[in-house]
Amino acid sequence: MKPAPLFKTVYRDLLGFAALLALGFWLIGRGGANISYRWHWQQVPQYLYSLEDGRFIAGPLLQGLMVTLEITAVSLILAGCIGLATALLRMSSSPVGRILAWGYLETIRNTPLLVQIFFLYFVMAPILDIGRFATAVVALSMFEGAYASEIFRAGITSLAKGQWEAAFSLGLTRFDTYRKVILPQAIRRILPPLTSQAISLVKDSALVSTIAVYDLTMEGRAIIAETFMTFEIWFTVAAIYLSVTLLLSGLVALVERYYPQRS
Amino acid sequence: MEQPVMGGDDYIISAERLEKTYPGNLKALDDFTVRVKRGEVVVVVGPSGSGKSTFLRCLNGLEEIDSGSITVDGIPLDDREEHRLEIRREVGMVFQAFNLFPHMTVLENVNLAQQLVRRRSRSEATEFSLALLDKVGVSEKARVYPDALSGGQQQRVAIARALALMPKVMLFDEATSALDPEMIGEVLDVMRSLAGEGMTMVVVTHEMGFAREVSDRVVFMEQGRIVEEAATATFFTAPARKRTRDFLRQIL
Repeated sequence: MKPAPLFKTVYRDLLGFAALLALGFWLIGRGGANISYRWHWQQVPQYLYSLEDGRFIAGPLLQGLMVTLEITAVSLILAGCIGLATALLRMSSSPVGRILAWGYLETIRNTPLLVQIFFLYFVMAPILDIGRFATAVVALSMFEGAYASEIFRAGITSLAKGQWEAAFSLGLTRFDTYRKVILPQAIRRILPPLTSQAISLVKDSALVSTIAVYDLTMEGRAIIAETFMTFEIWFTVAAIYLSVTLLLSGLVALVERYYPQRS
Repeated sequence: MEQPVMGGDDYIISAERLEKTYPGNLKALDDFTVRVKRGEVVVVVGPSGSGKSTFLRCLNGLEEIDSGSITVDGIPLDDREEHRLEIRREVGMVFQAFNLFPHMTVLENVNLAQQLVRRRSRSEATEFSLALLDKVGVSEKARVYPDALSGGQQQRVAIARALALMPKVMLFDEATSALDPEMIGEVLDVMRSLAGEGMTMVVVTHEMGFAREVSDRVVFMEQGRIVEEAATATFFTAPARKRTRDFLRQIL
């Protein structure tokens, strides 16, 4: 059978998607009407931004977004370092290193993130005298780092043994072999799962609102407590998270295009 | 234990009484002694699984021996990491599967060790790399990635890469076995000209024509042991052992 022309399929898909979207909005609208919810969409923009004398002033939601982005960015870098270090430890010849890495992985992956955040905030933070922001960053990077390490390990072990042997046979040290031969190839290979992990990090960062870090979620909750615009604000907050994660995926897709994987 | 016999100064490689057993009690090397003189071309032949590749890979420390001793250009291959690195810098190796670094261009492949190990600047390294690539006949491919090359071209690049540190010894581990028949010749030509320049070479190969024409000596091994070791002419025309004659009859 000949495949349908591209335009025709896309056209049909778009039509279906639009219909589904309309149905969704209609259901929500009807649901809102049933509980006689009064929509106040026109009041939402002021929580995003305002203009004073033509000057742009970020509202609480955008300020919260900035905090979310800050936490996410710092945690992303730390999680990457922790993940790589743990992966290397697990594959090292040192038994102590392997046990340490294993203990860390099993602890983090088998307890809820929320409990880890509370543990750090209520137990460790007073002892170490660190603030809420730092606690949030530590909790998130430890948590995502554990998952990232398994991704790194999979990427490194997926490379052919011959790559190691070729590098060693040229007299390269283990460090140079990792730096120049193994990691560049492994990281390119694991870019898709690493991106999913980064997206998880963005989403999981919402949990730090529980220790009163004024991130996007916390700002949303504060606005709702004041205004009772539950539906509008949660829709807006969700849409902001969605655009951040979509932007992230898009950026990585660009990187993937410019650095094609070679074999 | 008996004291191993030390090789004289004219031996660039002495591998004395090597023993290696793989898990499952598979003997890869069994009281295996081979010495190679400077400028000599030694071909190692034998049925598959006889330990040829293992021997080659032990010479530059890619695999560990259980006992015995290996000395390359006066440096003992022991537990010290510096010795291992030093030997690897004196010994170039070419693999059956080429093992080029796919994320680097041909030129970067050949530059890498020069820059990292010899601390040459990029321009110095590039100049030498281009000369090497010219020598193996792929200089026009310097800026492309390995996946754009044919197997024969990739293997010639791999030879250039192994030559980049100006090694004193070259090891060839079935360098033509993964190639399409029409590309074997171009790789053997490069190996032949290297031998002609006086490079010390240890070659594991199934190319008996090449062995006969280029090598000085042939080592025939089976189950990790030397069956027969002889000057090339003697090996092919008047082998001493019946096992050697049977083997030659099968492959020639």
